[in-house]
Amino acid sequence: MKRKLTVMALVFAMLLAPVLSACNNGGGGKESGSKSNSAGKDGKQEITEFTAFLAVPGSEVNDDNEVKQIIAEKTGYKIKETWLTGQTETEAIGTMIAGDEYPDIIDGGVATKNLYEAGALVPLDDYIEKYPNIKNFLNEEQWDSLRQDDGKIYWIQQFGNIKGEDKTTTQTMGAFWIQARVLEWADYPEIVTLDQYFQLLEDYNKANPTMEDGTKNIPYTILCEGTKFFCLTGAPLELAGYPNEGSVYVDEETLKAVDYNTTDMTKRYYKKLNDGYKSGLVDPESFTQTYDEYIAKLSSGRVLGMHDQGWNFSNSVNAALTQAGLDKQGCDYIPIGLVFDEDIHNRWFTRQYTINTASGIGITKDCKDPDGVMKFMNDLLDQEIHDLRFWGVKGVDYDVNEKGEYFRTKEQRFESTNTSYRATHLCPYSWMPQYEGTSDDGINANKPSDQPGEFYDGLNDDIKRAFDAYGAKTYIDLLGVNEPAGPWYPLWTYSNAITTSTPGGIAFTKMDEVFHEYMPKVCIADDFEAMWDEFLKTYEECNPQDFLDEIQAILDKRIEDHKQYEN
Amino acid sequence: MSTSRTKIKKIYPGDVAFRIFNTLFLTIFVIITLYPILNTLAISFNDGTDALRGGIHIVPRVFTTKNYQTVLQRQALKTGAFITVSRTVLGTVFALFANAVLAFIVSRKEFVFRKQLTVFWIITMYVNGGLIPTFLLYRKLNLTGTFWVYVIPGLVGAFNMLVIRTYMNGIPDSLEESAMLDGAGYTRIFWTIISPLCKPVYATVALFVAVYQWNSWFDAMLYNRLRPEYTTLQYELMKLLSSVMNQNTNVESLKNVQDTVTPTSVRAAATIITILPIVCLYPFLQRYFVTGLTLGSVKA
Amino acid sequence: MAIAKAEKPLPKKKKITAKTLKSQRALLIAAAIFVIYGIVFYYVPLVGWLMAFQDYSPRLGFLGSEFIGIDKFKFLFSDKTFLRVIRNTLAMGVLNLVTSTFMAILFAILLNEVRNTRAKKVVQTVSYLPHFLSWIIVTGILHDVLASGGIVNELLLKFGWVDKPVNFFAKPEWFWGLVAFSNVWKETGWNAIIYLAAITSIDPSLYEAAAIDGAGRWQRIKNVTLPGIRPTIMILLLLSIGNVLNAGFEVQYLLGNGLVQSVSQTIDIYVLRWGISQNDYSLGTAAGLFKSFVSIVLIVIVNQLARHYGEERLY
Repeated sequence: MKRKLTVMALVFAMLLAPVLSACNNGGGGKESGSKSNSAGKDGKQEITEFTAFLAVPGSEVNDDNEVKQIIAEKTGYKIKETWLTGQTETEAIGTMIAGDEYPDIIDGGVATKNLYEAGALVPLDDYIEKYPNIKNFLNEEQWDSLRQDDGKIYWIQQFGNIKGEDKTTTQTMGAFWIQARVLEWADYPEIVTLDQYFQLLEDYNKANPTMEDGTKNIPYTILCEGTKFFCLTGAPLELAGYPNEGSVYVDEETLKAVDYNTTDMTKRYYKKLNDGYKSGLVDPESFTQTYDEYIAKLSSGRVLGMHDQGWNFSNSVNAALTQAGLDKQGCDYIPIGLVFDEDIHNRWFTRQYTINTASGIGITKDCKDPDGVMKFMNDLLDQEIHDLRFWGVKGVDYDVNEKGEYFRTKEQRFESTNTSYRATHLCPYSWMPQYEGTSDDGINANKPSDQPGEFYDGLNDDIKRAFDAYGAKTYIDLLGVNEPAGPWYPLWTYSNAITTSTPGGIAFTKMDEVFHEYMPKVCIADDFEAMWDEFLKTYEECNPQDFLDEIQAILDKRIEDHKQYEN
Repeated sequence: MSTSRTKIKKIYPGDVAFRIFNTLFLTIFVIITLYPILNTLAISFNDGTDALRGGIHIVPRVFTTKNYQTVLQRQALKTGAFITVSRTVLGTVFALFANAVLAFIVSRKEFVFRKQLTVFWIITMYVNGGLIPTFLLYRKLNLTGTFWVYVIPGLVGAFNMLVIRTYMNGIPDSLEESAMLDGAGYTRIFWTIISPLCKPVYATVALFVAVYQWNSWFDAMLYNRLRPEYTTLQYELMKLLSSVMNQNTNVESLKNVQDTVTPTSVRAAATIITILPIVCLYPFLQRYFVTGLTLGSVKA
Repeated sequence: MAIAKAEKPLPKKKKITAKTLKSQRALLIAAAIFVIYGIVFYYVPLVGWLMAFQDYSPRLGFLGSEFIGIDKFKFLFSDKTFLRVIRNTLAMGVLNLVTSTFMAILFAILLNEVRNTRAKKVVQTVSYLPHFLSWIIVTGILHDVLASGGIVNELLLKFGWVDKPVNFFAKPEWFWGLVAFSNVWKETGWNAIIYLAAITSIDPSLYEAAAIDGAGRWQRIKNVTLPGIRPTIMILLLLSIGNVLNAGFEVQYLLGNGLVQSVSQTIDIYVLRWGISQNDYSLGTAAGLFKSFVSIVLIVIVNQLARHYGEERLY
């Protein structure tokens, strides 16, 4: 018995020992860290650290992150960011409000307005006037759109702002995607309509039912798991030639919000899927597969086409395809801007800065130095710091050629996505205000992924061949750039933040439940017409009109608000 | 039991059938419970991007230790491990003591408020004020932002207490009665008579509490979100996972670049790292509920 | 052979007198400490139940929020979906309770019959490990195994039992079974620990006595092991009956999809969707209050039944 106890004590000691010594080391590391601080401090001010909570899932960087340290030495400030884990944003923010204790800086996501209502945020107006980079970050109309009931601004929307020339190369939003091998087989035809797209998939699959190793092709698959449901339901809106407003489209002549879910166009889309399901074109597992299974299928190169948003799959799938050498078989995905009929103009991509007024970065009443925070945000928008955030350190993370163009070697590009390297070295402050578009030098893109040379070099050959055939240099060229939507765009900033406290919100939540159940049922129904009618009937019971009335009011208000800025 | 085996000489025909059935059943059981562990182990040692394609069973296809490196390189992991070990040790010791004492009280048949006290605790299992009131309470008690928020609120759990009580109820009264006659007080009966007999159930409850403490992360997130010095191992692993997950859908890095870790592969590595210490310590507890005790003394 | 756990004489009707109180002073003081602890950590937070009758806003708190009576309950019980999720929760709760209790007891008993100590330890160690896997891993493997190209479909096709792959996840009638199976798979070994501990308390001489009386393995299990762990079984059963409405949400969420939505949604999923993610704390609290009420009613009923049949009971 005694011996057992001794053994147990030893095991514990062994477990604890590295932990304890590690802590000692950690302490030692800290000391040396603060030494280098004081060394840099000699000529400069002391470094202040702010705390930030960002109610979104995000990538944490280490405290001794190198770029973070460089930025801190240049500006005198740094931020310790904490991200959302395992809770919804409303839940996390709700607890904070109840406890009445906040970090210095906060972005509450869809619950940002709750923070304002709880009196947790301080008005930023005076500071905005004081700091030119911030002042210039948004225009007058955009600033005004952020004003709350009391006429003051409490948060700054940080994303999507295009500076100078837009350099977007990649379709991160929705599109119908098709494998390069399908296009190559058909000798790069012009594909415009949904019917042509499915016809091509069918023809290709008939001629080539398997991949090189004998695996059966899956002509078309759909992801409809939980929150990724947009892969199924999002398409008809854009097929009909409207920009993605989320749940409605706006008739540009009458300026009325129209429910697209019940239109004949939408019915056509589901009929197409239903036919495809029956003929074996649509993957029978579409409606039950998980996100992991979906990614596995795409990564295996078996899937010829699907509708999805670029950010939802490209990164992991492209990497997996390339690693397995499947790009040699032409398995990479290429976006196509499909529409229902040839006379419809597609709106899959527009160059337009759309400000999401529902959320942004704010300063809380617990912050002792709001002026310092704003000064730091001003510095973060400074081109030199901005480059450090998104490109990294010159000579380490990127190099500059004789024309002044930034570029990265293969190794540098690889490191930039390495999880550990990002944690120890790179520090984009990714939830602070930032620019897309072009740098002040007029040459480089503000973000590496938009750098034209950078972009083209990284492409696989099957994509390059397709680009050449269609005379395109970027994915965007394939989709075409289209005219911006109206000043109300995008209405999803409203519907995403809607809550069940209003009849419209209740209707919206119920409608969503009905979609989740009935859209898959419609797709696999033996009797399409009967199921469609059942869907319409159930849908009507949710009182969609309540929701439409509310969104119409928002639409009217946005149009009205915009009038004063015309000319 | 092994001592008594020699005495059972006769073999019944049903016993053979039983043995076959038993071996078969347990073999199948082991296979289907072992598979997920081996699968997780294989994925944890497989290149993440390669694993995306699926089809990995119990052998890695493209071997790598990158997943483990990614997890172990996380800066705050050491602090987290230290806090987790501390809370597991302290939390288990205190909770076991508290539950045992309470169980002892409610298992005293002569105790006047026995029933009321039991009902009082059973109710706590089925009522819950919710996140916000609990959060406010801990704040008022100055527990938030401290280490003790991991230990104090979970001291007594009605379930564990009732498990111990049930076991104590099974101990013959004669033992205590004779001790009582010798003039022993409650404290002495608890320590010298009841507790030594309760080792198996103490081991069980200790295991339950320890595993709960070991796996906890929600309290670290909720009550010590802005206190990195009190982070726990599991909370750090959760954050790491969400970092990797976020990075994989990050609009900025939408290029064909090859990060070889994915949420799935990192999760697998983190899971194995979590299980390992438990597997190592388990045999020390296991003897109490597998080999069995000889309760010969009970009859004395 | 004496039966160790002979029927104990029932304690006489207790009378509270100064003398008994004095002799139980130590117990009373200790009990008082536990009561204070319980009140602070379990009963004080029940102030939160006020939220169920309020239009709660974190900003105004429990004292400042507007009282709206039983509106939230009206909303819940007039919603067809809520009634459906109660049915689903109950069905899955009961099915899980029955299957997991049965399997855990069966496993504990069979394991106890293994004579080889080393094999016994190995089997037991392996069996509890899935408990440490998160649901996302377990359901991920289940998806793999049951996919159209997975091992199960491969076997079914090979034996010619089906002519095209079965999509197990598309069938509402399979869903509850899948959830129960996942639970058994993940938790049987873990749940068995408590029964294994209870088995150790059985006096070995009882087995000897039974063997001498000519009892075979089955007989010994039936006449010695099962009665020996009966109190534990009863207590755990009683406690879990109070928990049938806590069928969880994670596994249902991970295994579910639109096609089986009408049978997969539980109360917890409903609350997440209509309460928490909508910033509506009051609705979630109302649903929680309802669950507590049902639990306590069930506990009282089953405890009365246990008393009636002379079984081990909670209080």
